[in-house]
Amino acid sequence: MIFLAIFHWSWLLVALLFGLAMGWIAVVHRGKGVSKPLARGLAALAAALVAAALAHAVPGRPGYWLDLGIMMFASYLIGCAIGSLLREKVVSNPAKPD
Amino acid sequence: MGGLVRWSSKWWPGTIPLVILWAFASWVNTAPLEAELAGRSTTALNGILLDKRKISVEGRDVTLAADAFSEEGRKGAVAAIEAVPGVRRVNDETRLVPQATPFVWSAERDVVRVTLSGSAPLPSVKGKLLEAARTDLGGVEVVDQTNLARGAPTGFEQAALLLLQQIARLRDGKVAISDGKISVAGMAQELGGREAIAAALKNLPEGFSVASNEIKAPPYIFQAYKDPVAVTLTLTGNVPDNNARRAIVAASARKFLSEKVVDNLKTSLGAPSGFTAAVIPALGALSRLSTGTLVVSDREAKISGDAFYDAAPGQIRANLIKEFPQGWQLKAEITVKPAAAPVDASICQQLFSELLAKGTIRFESGRSAIDPDSAGLLDRLVEIALRCPTADIEIVAHTDGDGETAVSPALAEKRAQAVVDYLTKAGLPGGRFTAVASNSTQAVAGNDTDTGGKAKNRRIEFVVKDKP
Repeated sequence: MIFLAIFHWSWLLVALLFGLAMGWIAVVHRGKGVSKPLARGLAALAAALVAAALAHAVPGRPGYWLDLGIMMFASYLIGCAIGSLLREKVVSNPAKPD
Repeated sequence: MGGLVRWSSKWWPGTIPLVILWAFASWVNTAPLEAELAGRSTTALNGILLDKRKISVEGRDVTLAADAFSEEGRKGAVAAIEAVPGVRRVNDETRLVPQATPFVWSAERDVVRVTLSGSAPLPSVKGKLLEAARTDLGGVEVVDQTNLARGAPTGFEQAALLLLQQIARLRDGKVAISDGKISVAGMAQELGGREAIAAALKNLPEGFSVASNEIKAPPYIFQAYKDPVAVTLTLTGNVPDNNARRAIVAASARKFLSEKVVDNLKTSLGAPSGFTAAVIPALGALSRLSTGTLVVSDREAKISGDAFYDAAPGQIRANLIKEFPQGWQLKAEITVKPAAAPVDASICQQLFSELLAKGTIRFESGRSAIDPDSAGLLDRLVEIALRCPTADIEIVAHTDGDGETAVSPALAEKRAQAVVDYLTKAGLPGGRFTAVASNSTQAVAGNDTDTGGKAKNRRIEFVVKDKP
C-alpha cells in the first residue's frame, strides 16, 4: 500500500486537492444534495468495491484499476472532509477587524 | 460531525472530474507499474536457481513460470515474489525439473563433432561440461543437447569431466553415465590410448563403476625383415618398453648369424599381453628362413618367406604354435627355397668350415639340448649337407674344461648326437652322419679365463669324409 501511495503520489495529491476544493464549496453550496436512500446505496457500493479490492476478487489490470480508483476516491473524500471543516471554521468564526 | 454528514451529500459533483482523473491515471500508470513490478520481481529471484524462468505482470498480479530444482527452491521463488512491495497476487506456474530415472548423460564423438546429450543436474554443471568439452577437444565442434533433470548421482560432475577428458583420446566413440554406471566405447586415437583411458577410469569418484569398456586401439604392429642381399635384419614398429626392446635386439643378435640388426623400433604403450614372449620365438622362426618377413599385428603373427629345406616349414610352424603364449595366432606362409646346385665333398667341407667360423652351435649349459637360438645356423648346415648327398659326415663335438674330465666326452658325444638327430629330422639319411666326441686338448682357444674361448671350445665341427 505504501509502495502504491508513493508510486501514485501525484495523482493522489490531485485527487486530494479536488476534494479540498469540493469540500470548501460544499459548505456554502445551496444546491440539492444526494438523497439519503441514494447516499446509502452509494456507500454500500463503495463498501462492496473496497471489499472486492481487499479480497483480491478482481484479477489482473482491472484489479489494479480498482485499487487505484479506491485510493483516489479515498484521497478525494479526505480532501472533501478537510475542505469542508476548514470552510466551516472560516464561516462560523469570521475574522474580526482590528 | 453532523456537519460533515450534511456537507458530504454535496460532495458528489467532484466525483465526475475524479472519475476522469482516475481513468487517465489508469491509462498512464499501468505500463510503468507493470515494468516496475517485473523489474523488482526479477531482482527478488536473483540467487534462486530456476530454469526456463518467465515473469509476466498484469496490473499488480505476477505470473511466475519456471522449473525449480527442489521443492524448497520452488516455494522460495514464489515467496520471494510475494514479498515484493506492490505485488498483489502471484500466479504460481512453477514446477519441479523432471526426475530422470535412470539419470543418463553421454558424450558421443564422430569425426568432426562431439554431441553432449542426456541430462545435467544444474545449469551451472551443464555450462561447465560444455566449457570443459570445448577446452579438452580444442577445435572440435561441440553440440550441447543436454536437458536439465533431477536425480544425478553424487559426484556426477567430477565423473562427467573425467569422461570428457577420455573422449579427447578417442577418434570416435561414446562415453556415458547411467546412474553410477560408466560405459565407454570407441576407437583410441593412438596406441596406448586404450590403456590411458583404462588407467584414468580408476580415478572415478566413489559410487561410480565401469559397466563396460569397449575401447579399441589401432593395431599394435611390429615388423622384422630379413634381407639376404644387404645381410640385415631390420626391426620396425612398436615395442612396449626399453627392456623389451633390449631383449628383442639381443635375441635377434643371438639368433641371426651374420645379419646386422637395424633397430628402428619405437616404444609405445598398448602392446598385447605376451608380446615379447611371442616375438622372440617368432624371430627364431624368421632366423630359419633364407629370406622372410615377420609382421606382428596385435596378437596375430604372420611369417612369410623361404625355408632352406622341405621339412623346415612344418617344423617352424609346429614349434612356433607350441611356443606362442595363449591367445596368439600364427599365420605362416612359408615356401621352400629352390635347392642349390650339388657340389663335391671338398667344397662341401669348405662351406661347412666357413659357416661354422661365423657361428657356433650352442647348447644349454651342462646339457646336450641344442639352444633354440642355433636353429638358423643348423638349417644352413642342413642346406650344405643337402648339396653333397654322397658324402659321409663326421659330427665332432669338442668339450670345454669345465666339470669332471670323465663326464665331458660323454656329454660331447651326446651333443654331437643331438646335432645328428637334428639333421636326421631335417630329412637327411642318418647313415651319413657319425657323432664323435673330442677332448679339450684340441681346444682352439684358451680355456682358462676367457668365457668366449670356452664357448669356442664347446664347438661342433663338420668333417666331410670322402667315400672310398
